[in-house]
Amino acid sequence: MSLLETRGLTVRFEGLVALADVDVAVGEGETVGVIGPNGSGKTTLFNALTGLYRPAGGDIVFRGTSVAGVEPHLIARLGMARTFQSSRLCLQLSVFDNVLAGMIAARRTGVLEAVVWRDRARAEMREALARATHLLGLFNPDLPARGWERVGRLPQIDRRRVEICRALAAAPALLLLDEPSAGMSPEETRELMKDLQIVRDERPGLSIVIIEHDMFVIEGVSARVIALNYGRKIAEGSFAAVVAHPLVREAYLGQERTHA
Amino acid sequence: MIVVLVTEALVFVLVVAGILAERPRALMLTAVAGAAALAVPAAVPRVRATLARAFDEHRVVALVGGAVGALALPFALRGSPYWTFVATLALLYVTIGQGLNLQIGTAGLINLAGAAFAGIGGYTVGLLTVSAAWPPWLAVMVAPLVAVAVGTVLFVPILKTRGHYLALVTIAFVFIFNVLMNNFEFTGGPQGIKNIPTLTLFGHRFTTAPRLLGVALPAHANFYCACLLVATVTTIITRRLHDSWLGLALNTLRDDEIAARCCGISITRAKITAFCVGNFFIGLGGALYAVMVGFVSPPDFDFGYSLVMLSVIIIGGVDSIPGVVLGACLLVPLPERFRFLHEYRLLLYGLVIVLMLLYRPAGLWPAGVRRYR
Repeated sequence: MSLLETRGLTVRFEGLVALADVDVAVGEGETVGVIGPNGSGKTTLFNALTGLYRPAGGDIVFRGTSVAGVEPHLIARLGMARTFQSSRLCLQLSVFDNVLAGMIAARRTGVLEAVVWRDRARAEMREALARATHLLGLFNPDLPARGWERVGRLPQIDRRRVEICRALAAAPALLLLDEPSAGMSPEETRELMKDLQIVRDERPGLSIVIIEHDMFVIEGVSARVIALNYGRKIAEGSFAAVVAHPLVREAYLGQERTHA
Repeated sequence: MIVVLVTEALVFVLVVAGILAERPRALMLTAVAGAAALAVPAAVPRVRATLARAFDEHRVVALVGGAVGALALPFALRGSPYWTFVATLALLYVTIGQGLNLQIGTAGLINLAGAAFAGIGGYTVGLLTVSAAWPPWLAVMVAPLVAVAVGTVLFVPILKTRGHYLALVTIAFVFIFNVLMNNFEFTGGPQGIKNIPTLTLFGHRFTTAPRLLGVALPAHANFYCACLLVATVTTIITRRLHDSWLGLALNTLRDDEIAARCCGISITRAKITAFCVGNFFIGLGGALYAVMVGFVSPPDFDFGYSLVMLSVIIIGGVDSIPGVVLGACLLVPLPERFRFLHEYRLLLYGLVIVLMLLYRPAGLWPAGVRRYR
């Protein structure tokens, strides 16, 4: 059985249909790419999966339970983590704070341990900091040393890495990456490709769904590609098959004009 | 270590001199000395770095030194019951400020009903001791819980509104509280509640002037010590909460609610925890105020005091635990010091806040990075 499955997933905003009847399945350890022109519903799909949008119809089954209409934080605790297209880090907080935020849901000590019986809380914090250090070091050996700096002082590529670390810190089963290469130069995009390979090597069983506009990234990382247009799934299959699909070509390039 | 102790001794001398200097010339001299003491570390990075390192290395010494200084203050002020009272008031504002800072600074819940929650604490003590004849200690311990319980009526706006809208709701709450206190029969209406019995400890009434180490101290020194203890414990608790998962969760949801939800943080639970813990300490401050002053009335808890509490946080440093202590210790006594300016001192007060917001919006002691210590 697949890790994540949507059946007839539909999202509506007032009258506008943002997602219509989308069926997506993601297996364990699989990487799936999602492509489509602007406004085709890619981010809407992510927002529906993570619970930020309530589906108007259809069902989302994650790890065997239906999560359609469930609060985002409960879905996250089931093992779904994501990054955002425009970074949603807390720029005022330190790098470590941002990564540790991903571990809050799995905390074992509460308010009482934090105030009174501090040994357990401190031990847990030390362990959490060690894990954060390890995660940051995977992507950039200089990052752990900058752990106490505010995230706002890091360059764009490192911020994206911190965001990926925050998602990985939750030890998710499914990672949703919303256009990680957005706003990056070609060199940075190549760096990002390496980072995604690092994620793969570090968590072999992790399933990844990645939204990308950069076809080079999609081709490099995903075994299977789903194409959306106007909120509908128009094609699915290998990268080569999907980009060759007439509906996909039409969505990106427009209809071919027939010369009489 | 010597650096730490010398610095603390210098601060102590300046504080005492600043409070006790009566003649204009002496006051001017202390003001200049104080300004110089602030300007040197601010202007010379090396001095600042040395001080920071010294205090970081000898944290225990610094804390013990600070405690000795705080305990020595009533002895230095023994000639002036009035200034002992003001110092005690500053400590109450530390307690209240820490509670409010957890809400406003850490969680981003703009609660401008601080005066109302302090008032609920104060009125609870008044009602329980005067009308129900409870022992004052018990009333002071129960009052914060009542403040938390009454706070539950604000749970819906806390969860459904944010930013300015929440601020408006809480402002309305203060005014409703005041109108109710003015009109309820059982709270004494505009007269308030008089003759609230004072605290006693092992038969020692807090209104009798103590003799400590052969020195006669003003009666308010009793309350000074009690409030010092409460303010210290409150500061330790809020600091530990701030450096825990709770503080991190609150900071994360303050900066980005969507990201926090996708991290698995329950916004509802975190916000309500922060709100209740904050109201507890605000109510505790109000309760201690009631037993110290011996009477409560509506004007003691009007909206203006909410603004003073907010200024303590803004001047000290939003989300900064030491900042709140500094803010309270500056903002409560300073306007008293400038009483000779009569009505102009309020103008000065407003000017200081405007200048702060313009040139030092992070406060005098900005929030540092969470160190998880």
